[in-house]
Amino acid sequence: MICNLNCAGCPLAYLCIPLAIGAFIALKRYRGGLQKKRLASQLSFLLISNAAFVFGATGLIYTYFYCWESPYALMACPIGVLEHAFADRSWYLLVYLAGLIGFACIIFGRAACGWACPIGFLQDLAKGRRTKSKLDSKMRLLKYAILLAIPPVCYLTEKLAYTDICPIGGLTATLPYLAMDPNGYTFTVFFIPKMINVAGFFILIFLMTRGWCRHLCPVGAMMAQFNKISLLQLKYYEKKCIKCFKCAGVCPMQINMPYDNRSGECIRCGKCIDICPTNALAFEFRW
Amino acid sequence: MKKAIYLVAALIIFAAGANIAYDSVKSLNIARCLGCIAMEPKAVKFEEFWVEYPDHYNNKGIPPHPDWVVNASKQKVVMLFFWGPSCEPCERQWEAMKKADLVKGSEENGSITANFSYIQLFSINAPYDDEKGEAIRIYTPKGDTGTPTTVILFEKNGTIYWYAFSGEANGEGGRPDINELINILEKAKEEKYDLQS
Repeated sequence: MICNLNCAGCPLAYLCIPLAIGAFIALKRYRGGLQKKRLASQLSFLLISNAAFVFGATGLIYTYFYCWESPYALMACPIGVLEHAFADRSWYLLVYLAGLIGFACIIFGRAACGWACPIGFLQDLAKGRRTKSKLDSKMRLLKYAILLAIPPVCYLTEKLAYTDICPIGGLTATLPYLAMDPNGYTFTVFFIPKMINVAGFFILIFLMTRGWCRHLCPVGAMMAQFNKISLLQLKYYEKKCIKCFKCAGVCPMQINMPYDNRSGECIRCGKCIDICPTNALAFEFRW
Repeated sequence: MKKAIYLVAALIIFAAGANIAYDSVKSLNIARCLGCIAMEPKAVKFEEFWVEYPDHYNNKGIPPHPDWVVNASKQKVVMLFFWGPSCEPCERQWEAMKKADLVKGSEENGSITANFSYIQLFSINAPYDDEKGEAIRIYTPKGDTGTPTTVILFEKNGTIYWYAFSGEANGEGGRPDINELINILEKAKEEKYDLQS
């Protein structure tokens, strides 16, 4: 498909226009060698996530949060697969999901959040405020609570309970479908709750950096604990450190850097590495 | 060493999982569930049965009706009901059809009631039924929209006549409600067997 600049009649405009705007904003914001590479990675994964218009829908599963009902979704949503496994009693889906997430996260830890996730990319562009309330550490547990609640609720109700109110689905599927064909659909009772959650999502990501990842993302919760055992580690060389705490100042997840370098909250974005004046932090692959 | 063991174990689970679940996940991914994102596609109100794809479809010409549909439609009026597990609108439509005494049993093992014995029902678990589930893409306006999708077909003098809508039969967005759906089925019977003449 070749661009003829006729955005009004193009089904990919919903993706292409935000992508161009995002890339323009990001080029000004992503400073440092690793950050430029990260920007290229995030843009690439945004395209890959929506590549069904080239390859068709596949049976692969995203290792990050993206809606598989999105018009050109290439892969499946990990939370959607988890819900189907419990709601449909299709337990074999869990083997696939656990194997894929386990395999990816044992190698890279939670790096997909920082380098691949389109929702993470959107949050990086939104550049929320650097606020850290006293409740922050407790609120971070919310995402684990959501992840733990999904299986029993889906099992008992036999419904895709989280999907009905998922703000990521609202943002990456409902709104694109409406943008492509505003008069082509009617709405179910979940439309308004979903849109309220989308609005809440935007408030959250402008209120705090990576607010969604920190407090609410169940996929992040799924991957977080792999950070401690992953091959890719954020290494801290204490002898080189001059305790300037610039790393703590740029960390979008507002981790207690440099001491919590193995935290499950780290999304391996590498901002701390780029800003460290003494190279006391570095990525390393370790067996 | 420990990490290597973890990695190999995860790889084995991943490979085994992909082997048994890849196709199911692909089917789930193909059958876009618009109900899951709080929307249902608008339909075209029934006026007459179609032979070719009507204007609101992406495709043109006569649909590539599968053989099993063609064969069944020679005998009876055919109703295809594409549903999916954990699809709430599908469940609601099924229950409404049951209440109207059109069908009995469950979506999975459902059959038509004696009152409507002129109908051959295919209740198809679209995401998981490899053989018949694929047909949903032939009959949905945007090619891959999800469940429920209801299709009524009959054959007369070698021509297949049909009408389809995606989304719950509840009278909204141009879709018929259950009573209208029954009227359309009756109309199909009349046309197939020339009852009016």
